[in-house]
Amino acid sequence: MAIDPRSCTCGSGLRYARCCGLDLNSLSPPQATEPLRPLLAEASAALQKGEAERAEATVLRLLELAPGWEEALALLYSLRKRQNKAAAAEVLARRMVALNPNNFWATNELGLMLFQRGALAEAEVLARNLVRLAPRNPQAHNLLALVLTEANRPHGGEYHYRQVLALLEKPDAVVLANLAWNLKTQGRFPEARELYEQSVALNPDVLQTWLGWARLEDADRNLARAHELLDRAEKVSPGAASVRLLRAVFYGREGKLEQALAEIESIADAGDAGLGANELLEKGRLLDRLHRPQEAFAAFAAGKKKAREALGHGYLAEQANELVRRLKAFFTAERLAHLPRARRKDGEPQPIFILGFPRSGTTLLEQMLSAHPEISAGDELPLIHDIAQSLQRVLNSPLPYPEALAELWMADYREALDELRDTYLKRAREMGIIREGARWFTDKMPLNETHLGLIALLFPASPLIHLVRHPLDVVLSAYSIHLTHGYFCAFELESIAQHYALIADLVAHYRSEMTLRYLQIRYEDIVSNPKRSIERILAHIGVPFHANCLNFSENRRYARTPSYAQVTEPLYDRAVFRYRDYLEPLRPVIPILAPIAQRMGYTIDELPASGAGKLKASR
Amino acid sequence: MSAVFADAGRHGEGPLARLMAEASTLEQASRLQEAEALLRQALQVAPEHPHAIHMLGIVAFRSGNEEEACRLMERSIALSPNTGLYYRNICAIYRALGRLEAGRAAGLRAVSLTPDDPHAHANLAIIHYDLLELDEAFACCERALALKPDYPEAHFEKAEVLLLRGDYEAGWEEYEWRFQLPQAAGMLPKTEKPQWDGAPIAEGKLLLVADQGFGDVIQFSRYIPWAAGRCSELVIAASSELKPILSQFSELQGIYHRWDEVPDYAAYCPLSSLPRLAGTRPETIPASIPYLRADPARVAAWVARLNDLIPEGFFRVAIAWAGRAAHNNDRNRSSTLAQWQAILATDRVAFLALQKGPPCQQIGAYYGDAALVSLGPSLLDFGDTMAILESVDLVISVDTSLGHLAGAMGRPVWLMLPFAPDWRWLLHRTDTPWYPTMRLYRQRAPRDWEELTARVAADLLRHARAKEETESPQWKMSA
Repeated sequence: MAIDPRSCTCGSGLRYARCCGLDLNSLSPPQATEPLRPLLAEASAALQKGEAERAEATVLRLLELAPGWEEALALLYSLRKRQNKAAAAEVLARRMVALNPNNFWATNELGLMLFQRGALAEAEVLARNLVRLAPRNPQAHNLLALVLTEANRPHGGEYHYRQVLALLEKPDAVVLANLAWNLKTQGRFPEARELYEQSVALNPDVLQTWLGWARLEDADRNLARAHELLDRAEKVSPGAASVRLLRAVFYGREGKLEQALAEIESIADAGDAGLGANELLEKGRLLDRLHRPQEAFAAFAAGKKKAREALGHGYLAEQANELVRRLKAFFTAERLAHLPRARRKDGEPQPIFILGFPRSGTTLLEQMLSAHPEISAGDELPLIHDIAQSLQRVLNSPLPYPEALAELWMADYREALDELRDTYLKRAREMGIIREGARWFTDKMPLNETHLGLIALLFPASPLIHLVRHPLDVVLSAYSIHLTHGYFCAFELESIAQHYALIADLVAHYRSEMTLRYLQIRYEDIVSNPKRSIERILAHIGVPFHANCLNFSENRRYARTPSYAQVTEPLYDRAVFRYRDYLEPLRPVIPILAPIAQRMGYTIDELPASGAGKLKASR
Repeated sequence: MSAVFADAGRHGEGPLARLMAEASTLEQASRLQEAEALLRQALQVAPEHPHAIHMLGIVAFRSGNEEEACRLMERSIALSPNTGLYYRNICAIYRALGRLEAGRAAGLRAVSLTPDDPHAHANLAIIHYDLLELDEAFACCERALALKPDYPEAHFEKAEVLLLRGDYEAGWEEYEWRFQLPQAAGMLPKTEKPQWDGAPIAEGKLLLVADQGFGDVIQFSRYIPWAAGRCSELVIAASSELKPILSQFSELQGIYHRWDEVPDYAAYCPLSSLPRLAGTRPETIPASIPYLRADPARVAAWVARLNDLIPEGFFRVAIAWAGRAAHNNDRNRSSTLAQWQAILATDRVAFLALQKGPPCQQIGAYYGDAALVSLGPSLLDFGDTMAILESVDLVISVDTSLGHLAGAMGRPVWLMLPFAPDWRWLLHRTDTPWYPTMRLYRQRAPRDWEELTARVAADLLRHARAKEETESPQWKMSA
């Protein structure tokens, strides 16, 4: 048989048959390849002398002969990482972990890479494994802390950061800054500020620390101080793109749109090609506010393309469709009629579920509701998702969620929903989100409506407030920001629309098949008549009207979502029917969304044949 | 009553005629796809063959494609404008599409072209009934019956006209023809035993049969004590869903859900024939309300559940906007949730949908402002429905079993009726001797739900506000 000479497409430099096409079961035992050790010594020596090319050639030869050698893989991994060949480096790290799951270093490297490209679920698996492997290793706790904080589970993240600090036995500037960021996401600003101060006292040359601190001050509505901190960051790293991006964000916040745009454009004089995904998306948003929709859309498209490339994949349509199919098959009126429900736990604050596709106005609504003395803001609580993921284990079921709920028919699990309800309430309490005297707290995890059936089993008496907004505005808005919710649907307009339609259909199914304490509210109604909307919602919750809810922009609470800056402004209508300026690029998704829009009572105004022109009001 | 709708054509001889005859046979055997294939084959040979086109229209109608059926039949009429059969059949299509004026014109043309066709008169009678032209409807029935005295459809239509006018004496007699209708097959036991004539039965059981729909059973179950007083032992055959209703009558010594379980009996009687035997007239309707009651334990459970689902201060209205699709007048009596927009827009009212079946899916597609709670999926049986009815302030329903149940329980209920209502609701009045706590709302034009729901919504707002004022609400909505 002829030797396949093809190089592997991952960029490792190895032949395909020795890289991604390798069958790990075909590897020789270590003793059989031991005679090759001098090659490894030669490669290491070359690398130490700075002869990277020779080191690379030698290690490639070695891996051709012994493709399972961990030390050689590690060396090639280091070379590829240094060369910024992320895909190849990831492949090699994965191979090391696959060959030896107890390889702490490789697991940590891979975990960090996955974390950096936003693959949090996979990174979390690795991080947890690190803690299992080495519970006294600060690196293990650090990775888990990073992942949990980024995955909106800051309370777990805080615990692991504190473990890191305890294990290090001395303060570390970066860990302190990371913990500060974590506390900022929890709205614990004074503590976070104190940690940033400690961090820069230890090491004033860490750019990320100044940036994080500046964002803390921004969140605490102290833009002047935020600018000062950016000045310090500029000194640490003159001309850094991240500093300019943040400066642009702050200018945008202050309404200095042209200045903000100039700041972004100064990052890459050569044009958009030099901008990263975040810079491009911010540029698009600024252009949108400057009423330059065509340029804005081009920036969004370029930003999304880069973000998708960095992640390495797009919408996980198959997984999303499969879950929805199984949810619809399980949650039927006939089956539910014989499933138990958790009982209401009296004497404890109860959750209010604010449902809605990302960018539907859920943050705004939470900000309004949490201005009520009886309602605390829970923000994006990961609890329902966690419970869904734990069901198979908790119910000792051979089947995953949702089919695991079939165990509730068994005598020994009749009370399981009460226990899961208690788990949810306990974790919510531990998160410290519930204000003294509050009878309610909000949970506005985007796309919680995917789990509406589970929510209604756990909290049948909890109000479900579903925000709806013109679907084209939602899709456009989701396209203009970085978003990973919804099976990574947000990289392309079509996939956002597909996921929107999928979930709208699922919600319709739940509403047809279940008795729900459900209220639908239009974002546009909140904007046009906030008082009436809030009255309706509060009446649905069962609390008296409170005028504070209308002055929500004075609510000092920090909302830990992409919308947080918007909700510190009084209500504005610039986001209502914004799609009209983008009808042409949105045209491919109109066939997907038109039937839903029509059901919701929205119209989609067609462009005249020329593709230009003003559109009539809709809804 | 459903319209007479048939091919009834003579196909002559020759290959085309044979094709047509075969297609007709297949259509009558409900082998619609095969019939359609043959008809299309015929049309390839003779593209302008009016009868082939007409029959294709029948097939389309029976396949649920009414607009296409209408288009085809209009074409057949254009090709053969003096064929009475085509007008007779399109009369039924127009009715199904709610185009009553066009249906009447077609029906009139049919009877002028084929004055000896009893079916043409019967179809026209139905259209006249739908337009509440009762004198004309009655005359059509008489003409049809003169041509064909044992014509069940015409008798039944005549019964509906008589009963709707309040002429119960003559109406009950004609109403007995309903068991001769094709759709009544299987409703009564296959037996040699006599149908009860109302005379006392000294020995043996009297078997009642819960014929017709749930609403009818609820309405006529009031006669169970009357029947029990005329026999030594009373049992009933009914579908199992009705158990929570019928088990409330201690006079019944057995409730059976399968014919093969029914014990030997001396005579049988459909429940809906009891008013005739009792000699009921509008002024003598037995209305000892309530004759149905909710189970207190279930009421307590539902009160707790509703308190969880609906906060204090909301006026609670149970609703049902559609009945069973199989009902022969369902197109006229049932509405859609979207058509209730005006009612659902009423502030401070929680709407508890007690809807069952496919119309529940409309809740998923409802994007209005109402505080709408779908209870249909949580209803295990009529026992749950009764418990909820006991816990609400008002019931608003189209003409379906929910209205009967609320009426039988003595709960306040507003019933929204089609322009031409079922006979039991009589004419013009806003009340009904059958249920003293019921208020009737009648359409002022066929299928005009918009005007009707606007009227109901206005009354509901007044009603809810009046209650709100008497109960000093905790919170008020702004205008």
